[in-house]
Formats: sequence, C-alpha cells, structure tokens
Amino acid sequence: MKKISVFEVAYKNLLRKKTRSLLTVLGIAMAAWVLVSLFGFNRGYEASLNKDIDNLGFQMLVVAKGCPYEAATLMLKGGTGLKYMNEDIVKAVAGEPEVEGVTPMLMQVVFDPNKGESGGLAAFLGVDPVSFPKMKSALPFKTGGWFEEPEAAEAVFGYEVAELEQREVGDLYLIPEKEVEVKVVGILERTGTQDDGTIFLPIRTVQRIFGLRELTSIGVKVRKDADMKAFEDKLYKLPDVQVVSLSQVKTTIMTLVSTARVMVFSIALIAILIAMMGVVNTVLMSVMERRQEIGILKSMGAMAGDVFKLVWLETIILCLGGGLIGTGLALLTARLTDLLVRNLLPYSPSGGLVAIDAGLVLMALGVVTAIGLASGIYPSWKAARMRPLDTIRSEVES
Amino acid sequence: MKVTAVGEKRRGLGLLAGVVIAAFGLGLAAAVLYAAVGCDLNDPDRDVKRLFPDSTGYKTLYVSISKKGGDALLKQIEARLGDPFSGLFETADVPYTMYEIYKGADLVGYIHGVNQKGTYGGLQVFLALDLKGVIKGFYYQKLTSKAAKAFREPGFGAQFVGLSLEDFYKYDVVSGAEEPPGPVSRIKNPDPASEKDFRATLRAAKKNLILADEFLLGNPHLKFFKS
Repeated sequence: MKKISVFEVAYKNLLRKKTRSLLTVLGIAMAAWVLVSLFGFNRGYEASLNKDIDNLGFQMLVVAKGCPYEAATLMLKGGTGLKYMNEDIVKAVAGEPEVEGVTPMLMQVVFDPNKGESGGLAAFLGVDPVSFPKMKSALPFKTGGWFEEPEAAEAVFGYEVAELEQREVGDLYLIPEKEVEVKVVGILERTGTQDDGTIFLPIRTVQRIFGLRELTSIGVKVRKDADMKAFEDKLYKLPDVQVVSLSQVKTTIMTLVSTARVMVFSIALIAILIAMMGVVNTVLMSVMERRQEIGILKSMGAMAGDVFKLVWLETIILCLGGGLIGTGLALLTARLTDLLVRNLLPYSPSGGLVAIDAGLVLMALGVVTAIGLASGIYPSWKAARMRPLDTIRSEVES
Repeated sequence: MKVTAVGEKRRGLGLLAGVVIAAFGLGLAAAVLYAAVGCDLNDPDRDVKRLFPDSTGYKTLYVSISKKGGDALLKQIEARLGDPFSGLFETADVPYTMYEIYKGADLVGYIHGVNQKGTYGGLQVFLALDLKGVIKGFYYQKLTSKAAKAFREPGFGAQFVGLSLEDFYKYDVVSGAEEPPGPVSRIKNPDPASEKDFRATLRAAKKNLILADEFLLGNPHLKFFKS
C-alpha cells in the first residue's frame, strides 16, 4: 500500500477548494509582488544615485560665493554673470588632510550669434589635463582621448555637442566671439549628464583665450574615512567660497524619495496584513468544513500535533505558492515598474531604478513563509484541539 | 549661538546651491544649451510663418532611412547624392523632421532641414519647398564658419530659390563641379576663403532635396537621376 506524506495530504486538501485556494494564493502573490518591487526600488534607486554621484568624480564642489544662482545667471546673462575665485584656494583646499584630490575648473559661456534665429549659448569647461581625467575616470570615450598638454589648443566634446557640431576626432572647432580654433581630440560616449553638452578644454587654454586667471569651481574628492560634515565646516572658513556637498544633495533627494516610499511601504504593509487575514480566513473556513474529517482522523489515532502539522503545512503551501508567484511577477515586471516610477518621480538617476537580486528574492520568500507560519498558528491550533466525539456528533446533529 | 545660526544658514544656502547645481549638473544645462540635437526648427510656429507667410498651420512628420528602407535605401540615397554618408553623425538612424505646410485645409509646401559637417562646426540648412520640390526659401538655422555673416546675407540664400533636385543632380558634391555648367554653378560663394563651407552648404542642399523627394514627394525627381 502506498504511503501518503503529510505534504501530499495538505496539498490535496487545498485542491479540494481550488478557487478559494487560488484566490488566497493570488492575495499573497500581490503582497509579495509589491514587497519585492518596493525593496528592489529602494536598493536600485540608491545604488543608481550613488553611481551617478560617483561618476561626477568628486563629492564636493567649492564655488565662488553667489553661485547658487549660477545656473539662472548662465541662462540670463551668459558668461558675464559668472562668479570667480582666486586660484590660491586650490592649494588651501588640497592641503587639508581629508582631501584625496582636487581639480580646478573654469567655466566660460559665450554668445554664438550664428546658432538659431536669435543666437544661442556655447559653454566651455576648462579642466586640468592631469587631475580631471583621473577624477572622472568613469567617463567613457567614443573616440579619441583627453588632451595632455596644459595649454593645448585642443578640445574634448560631449556626445550631444559633437553630434550637433558634427565634430569628429581631428576636426577643428571655432570658439564663437573669440574666433579661436581648437582641434577635437576626443568625443565622449553619451552619459545622460551635463557632460553630453559640454566642450572640455585645458584650463590654461580657457584662461588664455578669455584673459582670466581665476576659477569658477574646484572639484574635491574626499577620503572615504573623512568626516564630511566637519570638513565642510572647515571649508566654509575659507573666504568668499560656497561649498556644495553632493552628500547633502543625495540626502535631500533621498529624503524626498523616502517620503513617498514611507507611504508606499505603508500600503505594502496593509496589503500584507490583508493577505494574512485572507489566509487565516481561508484555512479556518477549511478547518471548520472538515471538522468531521478531523474528528475521524483523531479517532483513528492522529495526535493533536499531527493535525496541527497538517493544517499548518496547508497555510505554508498557500503562502509559499503566493510568494513564488509574486516574486516571479516582480522579476517579470521590473522593467515596467522602472518606467512607471521614472515617469512619476521628479528626478531619476541614470541607472536601473529597480534592482532585484537573489538575496532579495530569498528575503521576500522568507517573509512570506514567516507570514504563513504566523497566520497558520490559530487555525492549526483550533483544529488540533478539536475533540473527535464532539466533531462527529455535531455532524450527525446537523 | 549666533555663530551656529550663521552656520545653519550657510548650510541651508549650501543645500540650495547643491540642489540647483545638481539639477544643473544632472542635465539641466544640457537641456538648455543643446536641447535639440537633430534638425528640428527651433521655433516652428515662428519659422513656418516666416518661410510661408500665408500658411495657417503645419504638420510634423518624423522619418528615418533605417525605418523606411534600411541599408538598401541608404545606398540608393548615397548614390543619388554622389557621395557616401560619412562620419559618426551622418548615418541611416538619423531622425529627420519634416514639416508639411497648410493654408486652410490645403497643403501648400514643405520645410525640411539637414545637418551638415562644416569646417569648424555643424551647419543646419533648411529649405522651404513648393509641392513640386522647387526651392522657395533657404535658411541657415545654425552655422559655424569664419564667413558666417557673408553666408547669412539674404542675397546668398536667394540664389537657391527656383532650383530643384533636377538642377542639383548635375552638381557633383565631391568635386564641386557641375557638368555642363548650370544654375548650381551660378551660385556665388560669398567668401572664397571659406570654400569648404560653401561646398558643405551645396551638399546639404542636395541631400535635403533628395530626402524630401524620397520622404515627402514620392520620388518625382528620380527619373532625372543618372547613376
């Protein structure tokens, strides 16, 4: 005679009420789906944001005081409204023990009367040929590479500006207003950042062309073990500079995102609670319908522990099934979730926003199993403590 | 206490600066300075009215060689141009924006622009065409050249008016010669020192007319093409 395992019995019991079991599994699946997608978003967003910030190459930007309005100034006044700071500040910043590296930058914007009907702006970023490429090592080149000479009449073009100007490595470019020729030595891959629209030149070249000795900003790479806040306070003591910490920017963005996340996590929690109630309801209903059967089982020698185990196993099968379907759905719809969230958020980093890995899937299955174990306790306990005679008698009376 | 307050205020300003510069750094600048890569009219409402003063509306079409005919079409267009597409940014994937111009319900013409490599930067050459593909207007939307002022003189653009692809087929964009000399040869270079930009302009005009013939007019000028 074939011996049937408790698992098989539990599984067959669930199949007896297919629709009810399926709906319960779907409820759990929805909760697992939301849970995995949310945690995936949480990880993915932060990882992409960190990557974007790392790709910037420096965590702090020291700018001349007044620069909060730089973006608006550029748009309204072109290069004439830029604020400058003395080159000596580079040495002062580089001398701090928290600093791993610094890179001075000089931005210049000129009006190009031949761009469009009423002219347009052309922006140039003067960078140090030694420190800047080291700090922005993640910047990929489509063709060519960085200029090497500190005063070379050479330029590196971001992807979009190269496309607009139809420039390739070896081509010439004429700086509007100044009528100075520079040779294109590199074209960057598309990065999705401001680098796509930037023309990079050696900083000394920009200073020579525009007749300046000052800087507009200094990129600062801080040591990993440094106290950012204390260092920032120290930099504020330098005269006439403003410090922009990207960790602050990241915190601000993460705070904005986490506000929305708390709301969605609350909804996920409610979904899990509803799913849990559904499981308890389903299994309890099933136990009540099978009172006589449980009574017979017990009269045939099944112990309370056996009955408890059987009902508990049914609950776990329901939850684990729902968990597997839910995580599968989350994996399948990750790209869709990414697109949806990207459209809803005011700012999204360039990488993937939803990162689901094996660890997250296992964690979600663990949570769902724990829900199953917790939800199954009461119905299992109720079934285990049924008295055989009472259950059989109640069936006869009814 | 006062020092702390000032410090907090500074940090607040720093944060504001951060958000502004992060927005600036993460794409705003690119959007403002180089929003339209490709060859769209910068201000279609204004530009259409200027090129077709009697028009009442326009419809925008987006096409590309790769979508319409892939490599086979690219080869055909290159043969008609007499010069292969070259470089990183002149490919079959380039999206072309074409404008159908209406007066009331009637289609009265077309506007189309192309990017062309010049000596020092990109040229954007727009042509206004009538329904038969004859040039009604010529316009540089963007031009980087030492002789930009001379090329932008209305007299230079006026030389293109009345020409069609039939005329341009006789013009060889590689040698810059027209055999036998015809209306294209009569277009005068406003600055002999900028011969490369002058030839780039003629190549842009010919490419523009071929693409308009292919995508807008249904190739009525194909019969004039001799390979």
